[in-house]
Amino acid sequence: MRLVRTELVDSREILPGQWLQSFLAPELASGVRAGQFVHARTGDLSGLVLRRPFSINTANPATGVITIHFRTIGRGTEWFTHLRAGDTVDMLGPLGRPFEVDPRSRHLLLIAGGLGMAGIRSLADEALRDGRQVAVLFGAASARDVYPSSLLPDEVEYVIATDDGSVGHRGFVTELVPAYEAWADQAFACGPAPMLAALARLATGRRERLGVAKLGRKRGAGKPDAVGSPAARRKAFLQVSMEQNMGCAVGACLGCVILGTNGQPQRVCREGPVFAADEVAWESGW
Amino acid sequence: MKAKRRVTTAKDIRPGGIQRGPTPRRKKGSAATPLSALPAQMPPTAQTRVEAVAVAELPSRPGRTVDVDLTVDLGRGLVLPNPILVASGTFGYGIEYGDVVDVDRLGAICCKGTTLKPRIGNITPRVTETPGGMLNSIGLQNPGVDAVIEKYAETWVGWKTPVIVNVAGESVADYVEVVRRLEGVPGVAGIELNISCPNVGRGGLQFAIDAGAAGEVTGAVRRATDLPLLVKLSPNVADVRPIARAIADAGADALTAINTLSGIAVAPSRTKPLLGNIYGGLSGPAVKPVALRIVYEVSQIVDIPVVAIGGVTELADVLDFLAVGAVAVQVGTAIFADPALPVRLVDELTEVCRERGLATYAALIGTSLPRKPGAPSSKGVEYRP
Repeated sequence: MRLVRTELVDSREILPGQWLQSFLAPELASGVRAGQFVHARTGDLSGLVLRRPFSINTANPATGVITIHFRTIGRGTEWFTHLRAGDTVDMLGPLGRPFEVDPRSRHLLLIAGGLGMAGIRSLADEALRDGRQVAVLFGAASARDVYPSSLLPDEVEYVIATDDGSVGHRGFVTELVPAYEAWADQAFACGPAPMLAALARLATGRRERLGVAKLGRKRGAGKPDAVGSPAARRKAFLQVSMEQNMGCAVGACLGCVILGTNGQPQRVCREGPVFAADEVAWESGW
Repeated sequence: MKAKRRVTTAKDIRPGGIQRGPTPRRKKGSAATPLSALPAQMPPTAQTRVEAVAVAELPSRPGRTVDVDLTVDLGRGLVLPNPILVASGTFGYGIEYGDVVDVDRLGAICCKGTTLKPRIGNITPRVTETPGGMLNSIGLQNPGVDAVIEKYAETWVGWKTPVIVNVAGESVADYVEVVRRLEGVPGVAGIELNISCPNVGRGGLQFAIDAGAAGEVTGAVRRATDLPLLVKLSPNVADVRPIARAIADAGADALTAINTLSGIAVAPSRTKPLLGNIYGGLSGPAVKPVALRIVYEVSQIVDIPVVAIGGVTELADVLDFLAVGAVAVQVGTAIFADPALPVRLVDELTEVCRERGLATYAALIGTSLPRKPGAPSSKGVEYRP
């Protein structure tokens, strides 16, 4: 984690109300892992008092450029859309814990609902770089909100569901998941909370349904990894990237919590934003 | 008791507070002595304030560098290296910001509110931005005093910066027990009482809005510990002065003013309040005028130092709070946007003193308070209910 002065190099509206911005930030681009985020400060004249958290959409260590993808939902995001190339933005990052991919996983299933694409987008790059196969299931309200396939790597299998059926499958993206359940070694999701909760329900009992062998139990058998540890998350089939109103983004203010299955609040900024699906108390109403 | 309740004036206010042994006093005739000639450790007194004002009004002398002494004595041996503190709830336990903030350069760290038993806090959403500020309703999430001591005290011992543990409770007995457990723990430099909690013993009435309850809890904690004791005032009262007086009379070493203002926000759907807890506490630049008013009122009527808090985002805010009688300030919400701010304020305050040829910042304290001894400090009385 460090404070970095970044410079905007490109900004464009890729979908109605959705923006993709590139920032020159070599310090961030080289150290970041998929799933982490930055906390970006609006300018003094914006009159805003809090930073805004953004998932790191892509990071290119070679060019030192990171991108963020967001929807304009308020004054903060609106402020960012007025930036021009050359403007500087103060960012704190990289923050949070990344997706944990099991080294043995060959097939990764990425599931995104709407803007959730920003949360899993960089994992596609990272997985392809590591020689894995990637399928992206994407859900949106209608064709006008569908993430352009041109912004995804060619190697990715891209499957779309829209609520109105204007493109791809008619219905929720979660309805596409069972077809990939057996193919996928691990699944990673980001999107609205009800979608993530539905995915968590789908994922339970998968091991038994498919009769997946439990591997790697010779050493340390019977000693389960601590809940929430990187090792435990690597073994989880489904990992989700969560969202919550955020204050400090470093774990100091305890504003951005979700309730864990252990009954304890978990900080999205510190223990998350990525959680194994079974760490989250989905029915808690938090 | 009566004598203690007299209305004191700006002249009586000094960072050293009351009863801390002999304070060097200087003859009035020596007002011409340059302040830089004074011993650096000397606590700023009312007299030095007057002298320093004289010095401050002289044109600055370029080329002359003075060592600026920013230390401030909050009483009972709690001497801070500088008057810029970080506020409870905005800086966790001091470790969260990692390398981004050099904690050893801060005046003090007020840690997250600590209770006797662990608390999981309120349901979410817990924070939201509002015009010029933010609302929060964390609900005192913390692992309980024992876990706090076990997890963090060892780290605190290694810091030069004093750590003031913010304590909350639901009954007088709660507060006393938490403080007893903190007593004598290496690394704990002081206590800040958060009395804006519902008092379960009195039907949920907040300690902070009742002079009797505030005095009672302060007195009980005072009898339980020799640790330096700060008490944080709530702005959600019609008149804060009787409460401040009761707390001072009960033996607090310093006052912190102010806690957050009660408020709500509405969810974008307009079907319910936004925060899970409905009510939240407003902080940030939006509350600064309220904080200034309360510091102004309180610093004139108590003998103990007042630590100001409320919307500090730049040096001008620090100087404003000092001008209305605060001896130190806490930085809170602004840390979220600018974690480097508190350390930068220390540098900027030093620079201001240096430019004005001041050896201590005491000259900046209380300059906007009524000058005439005994002048009525209740000019705003007409707007009160």
